[in-house]
Order: sequence, then structure tokens, then C-alpha cells
Amino acid sequence: MKRIIPLIITPFLIIIFSNSLKAQNQNFLPEGLGFSNQLEYSNDINKHIEIFEDWLNIDYHKGIFGAGIRFETYEPNDPSPAISRGKTRYADIAYKYLKAEIGDAQRGGEIVVGNYYALFGRGLVLKSYEDRNIRVDNNLLGAKLQARYGGVTLTALTGMAANADNIRNEILHAADLEYKIAQQLKIGASYAANLPEEENAARTMLTAVRIMPSIWNFDFYGEYGFKQNRDVRDLLLHPDTSKAVYYPYNNSDWKVGQAGYGSVNFYYDAFAFTGEYKYYDNFTFASNDGTISYNTPPSVRKEYTYVLLNRHPSALNQADEQGFMIDLNYNLSDETYFSADYGETKTLPYKSYYKQILHDNSPSRVQLREVYTQAYHDWNDNWTTIAAFGYNEERDTDTKNVTPILENIFYFNEINTIKFTIEHQQTTVKLNNEQYYDDAVTLEYLRSPDFSVSVVSELQTKEPEAGRKLRKFWSFIQFGYKIADHTDVSVLFGTRQAGNICIGGVCRYEPEFSGIEFKMFTRF
Amino acid sequence: MKKLIVLPLFILFAVNLFAQAEEDQTGRSAPEFKLENVDGNYVSLKDELGNGPILISFWATWCKPCIEEMTKYKSIYEDYKDKGFKVLAVSVDDERTVAKVKPFVRSKNYPFLVLLDTNSEVARKYYAQNVPYSVLLDKDGNIVYTHLGYMKGDELKMKNKIDELVNK
Repeated sequence: MKRIIPLIITPFLIIIFSNSLKAQNQNFLPEGLGFSNQLEYSNDINKHIEIFEDWLNIDYHKGIFGAGIRFETYEPNDPSPAISRGKTRYADIAYKYLKAEIGDAQRGGEIVVGNYYALFGRGLVLKSYEDRNIRVDNNLLGAKLQARYGGVTLTALTGMAANADNIRNEILHAADLEYKIAQQLKIGASYAANLPEEENAARTMLTAVRIMPSIWNFDFYGEYGFKQNRDVRDLLLHPDTSKAVYYPYNNSDWKVGQAGYGSVNFYYDAFAFTGEYKYYDNFTFASNDGTISYNTPPSVRKEYTYVLLNRHPSALNQADEQGFMIDLNYNLSDETYFSADYGETKTLPYKSYYKQILHDNSPSRVQLREVYTQAYHDWNDNWTTIAAFGYNEERDTDTKNVTPILENIFYFNEINTIKFTIEHQQTTVKLNNEQYYDDAVTLEYLRSPDFSVSVVSELQTKEPEAGRKLRKFWSFIQFGYKIADHTDVSVLFGTRQAGNICIGGVCRYEPEFSGIEFKMFTRF
Repeated sequence: MKKLIVLPLFILFAVNLFAQAEEDQTGRSAPEFKLENVDGNYVSLKDELGNGPILISFWATWCKPCIEEMTKYKSIYEDYKDKGFKVLAVSVDDERTVAKVKPFVRSKNYPFLVLLDTNSEVARKYYAQNVPYSVLLDKDGNIVYTHLGYMKGDELKMKNKIDELVNK
């Protein structure tokens, strides 16, 4: 704790110092300079686990040039290796860049040297990104060049991402070309290949092409990609000698995987429709040690904001899934609107690359089936109701979940609001038909623009035998406060049920918690 | 137990200090960006500057408070658009939900520019760690106000700030 106190105090001192200067009505930061600090501290009293994390960004922009650093501190970090990624006790500049931008929106370019992120198309081939909520950061260290001219956008990059031990030892080369042929039509192509550190390991190469036409009130997106790797071999009997021999898999072109993604949008007046389709067959693009993921295609799953709907999540599997999702929105009026979603994700059939390589003859099975509907209505200026219903079947947890939700929002005047949300989830474990129930109640008071307090309680009821009920209860209170225009603070006390934070099919498991959690975000 | 006491004490200490803070400030200049709008055309911040204040609103289709906030911003935009005020609604929907942005925007009939920041490059430049996150610029491109989150009433403060800027 002695080590942590200075680290906690430092951001406060920064704010106090900067604020006192602000009070003198001075523009205290030099022109072009900005900084932000995000601090998170938690102390689990029952498990005696203390976690401190801090991210400090300092950026400078002047004319066409930009530069910045991100100083990260973990003292100690989350004990889960999936989160700490080798940074158990860590204080270092984890991200730094120099950048130059020239030209305008139509003709110009940008070059970045240092750490950077990149996304090609919808992420089939490359997605380098940071999402702090799920503690994902696969930034690349190297150089990135982007050029725009006459409707053509070219991106080329080379860099290295950090592996699970926070070591960068594998080089990635990638390029993307997009051409706007006409106002209603764009095409593109992407390529990426890694260069493993191990001398004898083969490169993995991903290539994809995409097309984006728009016709009347329809927009389409289609992308197809394939994966090549010379190390994937197949153990077969030699036709002459009948001895087992490793043959190159698919020896004509070393193709060992493929992926397709398509979406169609339709909008007419107050009605909107989105349909998506995916087919990901052995399309994971990972480092040779398997700990860096370079691509994240669309998960084609619904994202939920309610607590219980994330209890039984389904993680994206780029190697073995196919499926679709449809999403409908209808705005009856400014006061009333509806939305509905239906999606299905299945594993691949046995003829897929993935299953042939693994000699897996299992048939395609449903991995996730989900239905979600929501209605929103403003009864008057003071009262809004949101009613929602979710149903899903998830194979990994082997559960069926039915979840009705009712949220009422009362506006007492222009700045005071009370929100009251009731969620109920009935879960059936399909293997043994065991049933259990979860009820979550959230009561929230909001006073604009500075203050909020919420109480979240959850009760889980299991009935292992008829007449014998087991109940578990969690409850926490959370305060939120804004300090001037630049700092948001939240403090949580109490107990919280284990759960998952899932973003884009990438999930972070949060274990059961009992204690205090403090978060502060400052920016200037 | 001492550990539990330390943090709240710090918070109280800080809150007391900040309660006296002067809020009306001209901050750093807004970082330049170029993003595609929902129709696939590139939009540059510097091309939008010069006529009046600009509100950059970071939002996403899956974010409930963002939708509430955007409804309020639609109304504020109608009130001030004739005085040079602009709204740039920057969607941070990534590859999983970006397909839904255009149909959503059309069905809601938002009258302002909606831009796509699919890999949060611009959000990072503006420290938009979560959404909704609003950044108000004066006509010269200086950041004068930022606001994280949305609760009813937040739009009043934003409207006051815009009012001050357009009547300067």
C-alpha cells in the first residue's frame, strides 16, 4: 500500500495544480498539448486482492505534426494472466508515436512512426485496437503510411505486437487498398502476413477482397478472404508404400482457411433493417506463439447493455463458426420506437478446412441462438418506459436463458431523474434440466450535471431439490461525481456477482467481487 | 480498514478544492481529423471550422444514453444552425455494429453530419474513453467544454455554452 499511495496521490496533485492555474483564468497548457489520466483501483476484502491500474496520456499536436506517449502503471496488476499479459508490476511508456499529416480529406496522407492501431475493412484481415474495458491492446510498434488520392486510399504498415510476456518478437507486414469507383460503389483489397521469429516456422498470410455498393435505399458490404500457411500438414498414407507421410495440406495453393462476411442495410422513412452473414473457417490470424490475435471479424452477435443479458455470453471463434443476424428498427414517432433482433451462430460442417485439418467429423451444431426485442415509449415529459425481452441458447454454458426487463425513467424536473430497472432471468441447464433464477434491481438517482448514485442488487435462487432453495445475494452502491468539466470520479462499495464484459465477441471475465472500487478519469 | 478510508478522504478533499474552480475556459486546440461520413465521403474538421461553434459528439448505436443525448442535440442543432453552429456526430461503432449506423441514422432522421470512427482513432485523440462524450469547440477550433456521459439536464449546460459562443 505504501507504494500505491504516491501513485494515487500523483493524479490528484496534477488535477489540483492544473485546477488552481485554471482558477487564475490562465490557459495553463501550452498550445497543442493535451493529457488524460485514467486511474482504477480495487480492493477485494474477502480475497485480499488489491489492483491498481493507471494510464496517463500526453499528446502534442502542432500544425501537421503530432507526438504522444502513454505511460502505464500497474502496481500490482490484475492477477489474471489474460489481463496482465506479463505486466504484473509495471511502470513504463507502453505507447509512443510521432505523426505527420499532409494534404486534405481528398488528397493527402499520414505517416506514423512508433505505436499505432489499424483496421482493414471490417477486421477480417487486420484489427489492431485497444479496448480498455476488456483489457485488449494489440497495438503495433513500427511504421504506418496512409495516402489518399483520387478516390484511392492506400494503407501500408509494418510492426510488431506484444505477446503474452509483453515481448515484441514477430513482425507483421500488411497493406490495404480501397478505391471509390463512384459515389455508390467502393472496392478494396487487403493483405497481411506475419514473420515468425522461429526460423523454420512458416508465415501465415491472409488475403481478402471487398465490395461496397449502394443502390437506392440499400447498402451492401461483401468481403471474402482466404488464409495460407505452409506449415499445416496432413498425415496420410503414401499410395505406393502405404507408410504414413506428412503431405502439405491443400498443396496447390497452401490454402488452409477462408472467411466470408456480408451485410445488407435497408432504410425507408422510419424503418431500418440490417442483415449480416458470416462464415469463418479456420480464419484465426494469430502470432506463432498463439498469444497475439491480429484479426477480429464482426462477431454478428447482439451487444447488450443490461446486466443479466451478459451472464451467458458467447465468445467469437474465428476458426469455427457460421451464422447470421437480422436487426429491425421502427420509429413509430419521436416518443415510441421498437427494435427486434434474431441471430444464429453454428459450428462448421465436417467438410470445412478447420474440421478436415483436425480430422473432426462432428456435424454442424448451434452455438448460439438469440432473440431480443425492445420497445421504448415516452408517456409524457416526465415518464419513459423501456420494456425488453431476451432469449438465448448458448452451447458452451449449455443453457437456455429467458430474460424479461422493465425500465422506468422518471424525470422530476429538468435536472433530476430516477431510473428503476428490474431484470429477471430464468436459466435452464440443458444437460440436466436444472433451473435457476436471477433477479437484478437497479435504482439510480441522477442529478445533472454532476452527481449520480445507483444501487444494484442481485438475487440468485437455485432449487437443487424440490422444496430446498439456495439463495445468494449481491448488492453494491456506486457514486458518480464530476469535478469541474474535466474529471469524472466513481466509487463503488459492496458485492458484485461474477460476470462477463463482452465487446465484439471478445469477453473479459470479472470474478465475484466484494470490496471497494475507485475510478477516476481526467482530461485536459 | 485504513485502506478503505484513504480513498474517500482523498475524494472529499479533491471535491472541496474543485468546487471553487473556474470552469469557463478556452482549452487546447482540437486535434485535426479526417473521417468518412455515412455516405462514404471524407470530412475534415478544418473544413468545418470558421462559421460558428462545433459540437463533436462521440456516440454508438448500442449506447442508450447516447441515443437520448442525440435526440436533445437534434433539437439544439435546429435552434442554432442558422448561427453557424454545427454538430459532428462521430460514431465509434466498430466492425461489429458499424453496419447498423447508416440505417439507424436514417430512421432517426438526424439532420447533422454523422461520421464513422470505426477503429476509435479520433476518439483516442479526444480522450473519449467512453461514450457518450461531447466536445464543444469555438469557431477557431479550441476546445471550450467536454462532457462525459449523459443524464437529462446535461443538454442545458451544453446549450448555455453554445449560446455564449454564438453570441460572443
